[in-house]
Amino acid sequence: MSSKQGGRGGPAGPKPKKPARAGAEEKREDTLQAVVLADSFQDRFKPFTLEKPRCLLPLAGVPIIEYTLEFLAHNGVQQVFIYCGAHSEEIETYIHESTRWSPRSAVSPFSSLEFVRVSDANSVGDFLRDLDKRSLIEGDFILVHGDLVANIQLDEALAKHRARREANRDACMTMVLRSIGDQPHRAKDSRVITPVFAVEQGGRCWQYEEIHPLMKERKIVWDPSVVELPDWEIRADLVDCGIDICTPEVLALWSESFDYELPRKNFLHGVLKDHELNGKMIYTEILESGYAARANSLPMYNCISRDTLGRWTFPFVPDNNLVHGQTFKRIREGSCLEDNVVIARGAKVTNSVIGKNSKVDEGASISSSVIGRRCKIGKNVKIEGSYIWDDTIIGDDSTVIKAVLANYTVIGQGCKIPEGSLISFGVTIGDKIQLPPDPIPRISLLAYDKTPAATDASLVGEGGKGALFTEEQDEEEGSEDGDPGSLEKTLFYNLENLNLSSHSISTLASQADYESDVDDSFGSFDADENSRAARNRLSSFASDDSGLSPDAFHGDAVHGLLDALRAVDNGDFDSAKLEFMGLRLANNASDSSMRRAIAVAFARRAAELMSPEYGGLEPTKAAEKTFNAKKGAVKFIREVGVGSNETNLQAEFTLALQKALLGVKGLEVGRAGTLLAAMLQQLYNLEVLEEEGILSWWGDARAVENEGLAKLKEKCRILVEWLENADEEESDGDDDDEEEEEEEEEDSD
Amino acid sequence: MAPSQTTYSPSMEKLVKSLKGQTLEASIESFIYLLKRRQVKGDDCADATAHILRQVVAKSKWSDVDQLLSRVQTVGSRLAKAAPHEPIIGNIVRRVMGLIRDEASEDRNADDFGSEAASDIQSLATAIAPPSHSGPPQRPGPVPFRPPPLTSVASFHIAKPKSMFNLLSVVETAESTITAASTPLSQAAPTSIHALRSEVLDGIEEIMDEISQADDQIAGFADIQIFPGDYVLAYLPSRTVERFLVKAAAKRKFTVFLVSLENPNTTTGEAPYAALRKKLSSSGVKTISIASNGLMAYMARINKVVFSARVVYQNGGLLVDSGASVAAQAAKAHSKPVIALGGVYKFCPEDPSDEIAGEAGDSSTYVSYAEGLKLDSLEVENTVADYVPPELVDVYLTNLGPQTRHHLAAIMADHYKPEDVGFSFLSNE
Repeated sequence: MSSKQGGRGGPAGPKPKKPARAGAEEKREDTLQAVVLADSFQDRFKPFTLEKPRCLLPLAGVPIIEYTLEFLAHNGVQQVFIYCGAHSEEIETYIHESTRWSPRSAVSPFSSLEFVRVSDANSVGDFLRDLDKRSLIEGDFILVHGDLVANIQLDEALAKHRARREANRDACMTMVLRSIGDQPHRAKDSRVITPVFAVEQGGRCWQYEEIHPLMKERKIVWDPSVVELPDWEIRADLVDCGIDICTPEVLALWSESFDYELPRKNFLHGVLKDHELNGKMIYTEILESGYAARANSLPMYNCISRDTLGRWTFPFVPDNNLVHGQTFKRIREGSCLEDNVVIARGAKVTNSVIGKNSKVDEGASISSSVIGRRCKIGKNVKIEGSYIWDDTIIGDDSTVIKAVLANYTVIGQGCKIPEGSLISFGVTIGDKIQLPPDPIPRISLLAYDKTPAATDASLVGEGGKGALFTEEQDEEEGSEDGDPGSLEKTLFYNLENLNLSSHSISTLASQADYESDVDDSFGSFDADENSRAARNRLSSFASDDSGLSPDAFHGDAVHGLLDALRAVDNGDFDSAKLEFMGLRLANNASDSSMRRAIAVAFARRAAELMSPEYGGLEPTKAAEKTFNAKKGAVKFIREVGVGSNETNLQAEFTLALQKALLGVKGLEVGRAGTLLAAMLQQLYNLEVLEEEGILSWWGDARAVENEGLAKLKEKCRILVEWLENADEEESDGDDDDEEEEEEEEEDSD
Repeated sequence: MAPSQTTYSPSMEKLVKSLKGQTLEASIESFIYLLKRRQVKGDDCADATAHILRQVVAKSKWSDVDQLLSRVQTVGSRLAKAAPHEPIIGNIVRRVMGLIRDEASEDRNADDFGSEAASDIQSLATAIAPPSHSGPPQRPGPVPFRPPPLTSVASFHIAKPKSMFNLLSVVETAESTITAASTPLSQAAPTSIHALRSEVLDGIEEIMDEISQADDQIAGFADIQIFPGDYVLAYLPSRTVERFLVKAAAKRKFTVFLVSLENPNTTTGEAPYAALRKKLSSSGVKTISIASNGLMAYMARINKVVFSARVVYQNGGLLVDSGASVAAQAAKAHSKPVIALGGVYKFCPEDPSDEIAGEAGDSSTYVSYAEGLKLDSLEVENTVADYVPPELVDVYLTNLGPQTRHHLAAIMADHYKPEDVGFSFLSNE
């Protein structure tokens, strides 16, 4: 184990790592342990996180992890374990060099602080499963993320948690959430994904769902067991700050479910879903005062920075100088300045933070912004709502509005940096450059794979350095619902362009709709009686025949299958099948959504094999490889994807495959059609599909619903003709074909 | 396993308990962060500072008085810088430094008169010292009672006899006392260092006693200040004011107007100061709760206004909880007396500064974070401290009894050494 141990210095000396068993029980009551997850395996802060981990990015002049650790110290935590993923070296160096947090420091408020490195972690889930194996945790512990900013006191929540745990051993986790009311709120607008909790009176959480603006069907179907509760609320007005008070059983739960990745979307959702099986109870502690939020996306970063300037995070505000060596002082108009800040006469600074040795020249106006140390702000520069990190130079007469400028960036004279720009480390922008507002400029010296990007002189001007940062082309992200992550990668996401209103999720359906919908899903639900308790911020009782949470299922299922198909080493498809069935049960997915998931997975794999990176196979070869590379894959399609030998089901699967191929990104329609034909032939040869099935699909009106589908279908004509011929040869003069097709068509509708 | 009631959040009590097992540096650092996180604030800072300085004297290594003084001063200015909003810390540091200077000069005197001839003087000095240890709490400033031999060493008045006459003389100047005296002390080595250490520690204990007794002593003057039938307005009653009122209630029948802040975020639903009201009503004193913004309307009916000072500046101005200044002005407008409560340890030999009075606190005190619309459209400025100019205060009720503005200078002079007064802890080295 490559962890470092440090005890509080002084006469006591470092404590032995494992206390004697007898002392363990006592210790359980005395020391509070906390686990900090310093990597969230997301890329929402790119391009900044290419060079610096998220938790070291400065928020109001202070690296975010300082807030997190201070919060733990604020609550009397004694032992801290930090899990780092990407940039772990940098985080460790930072902590070890910090006079306050270094485990060797005599003044550290923690009795120990350890780093745990996990070499092969790909998700938060891997961290927690690793933690379970290490048995570092002795009792209740606090699980936080390395991007937490909070000033709340956990004593009450801890006491309640302990009381519940003692009353019932299965009460294994308490989530600390902050209510932000039902008014429009900047924290609400910033979080993109809206967490929705079903909370019983007394705090027990029964169901957890997520909603985001790009979802096609923004509705939630509540589990009948939830709806039957006597007194419960739907809470979508909560900021999930990721503070969980956990018992060690939580880690065991993580270990049991090897495929959970995210603490909320997977773990919480799953554990609550299966509460009858695992018998565990998860509680919420909803705070009405205090401050707690996670800077887990750029909009949240913006929101928390503003809250810090507005002193809602008090006492964690700049002029409290929490970090050693800071010398902020609060001056008039809500600004905080550090020592040796020079503000020229005539410059206007309101509600901003300016770090040591920075210089603001004449005529500049700075409002609601954070400016780092050693920055030079030229004459008549206008800065509004921006975050400018250390050592930045902004030339005269430039304008920076609502942008983030990382360390060592240089902005020339007379430039205009439009709203939402993200200028990464070391970028230089030449004189008189007006960055185009669309697409939102994200300029970096590095490309997504951390290789230096070629300077785009047309963008950054003469003498400039940097290029537009583009995401890695991720072929997997073809999910029909869009990726909410894309919204979180900009400082201010604007839904207007998407023709969506952020408030539409909280409109209340009329009572009549509500009742009828509910009646559809759960006949026994008495809407009038129970809805009084429910905070109906969501009008989401609609019934949905495609399963409870088709979206969650679809994404996970496609991923799982694709991974299995891609895997080079093991030729066994059975584990993938098992996982898939598990997912299906967990989500209560319907047959149609299963079919869709399987079709999409195989279609993508086939398309992938045709792409140059994977060898650029011919469609026939690709189809063959897709199905035959893995033992059991064909059987899986036959049994799960198609289901039975019934003709109408075969037609359905063919249709699903057709649609899936059309949906594959970067595959032109012509090639998709060829591939479809190849895949169908392959499946026919493998006896998964019979000619009746394919012919039934051929006649199906849905297969030509739109132009794309029709084109795809057209490509299969040869195959179908060949099949028809074969058919005729086989059963000469059999006239039933036509009739059969007609019937099946009706059936499948 | 019984449900444990342990709370984990750090507090001064916990820190004090763990002081022994910790290194000095760790204690100081913990205290600084308690201050920064506002887990110690207000009057508690005084006691806490005394605890920390006690550790500095007890644990740090020093071989002469200069070193000890500079240690205390360095730590003191670190504390003061960490919490510029609590000038009371500076008071305690100055008190301790004054104490060290006194003890040192006493010792040095003893050394200088190390001959038999001086032994009677020494015995005189020690005879004086004990009563100051367990001295009458009403005069907790034992410092002025000490023989003032500082001057004698520094200004060639060695021949000046130690007599009862100059016991009471005012210490005039002693600018170069300590620097001039370093050589003899270094020779005076272990025993006297040891003695000095224990004397200083005793002195700090006395300061701590003074702090802890101040509230009771102030309450002892309650019946002089409050008369039967009075209408007393208590603005945001602090611990000191609560004791004062309860004590008065034992002897007098009067009516109290309790002014509390209108706090939109109180989730408990409990009326503010419920415990105090219960105590008062049990002794037959009526209480009326009013909101801070409505107090002007009641002022005509009120006989006197009581609040506690966070700090009393040398000009007589007060640092108070925000809003008390409004109460004082309202009282002035109606010509009602204002009584400011505060122990002598709150007397601060500095001039008031804008910076401290403008200390900004938590915005969510007045606007809940849940109110999203307000969050975007308002700039919330919550100043937690206020300055009350001296002309608005009529009586300063200290543990030494009621004082007027004119006596403050004398009290300051009694408690602080002039060389410490001039020192500002907040300035950069």
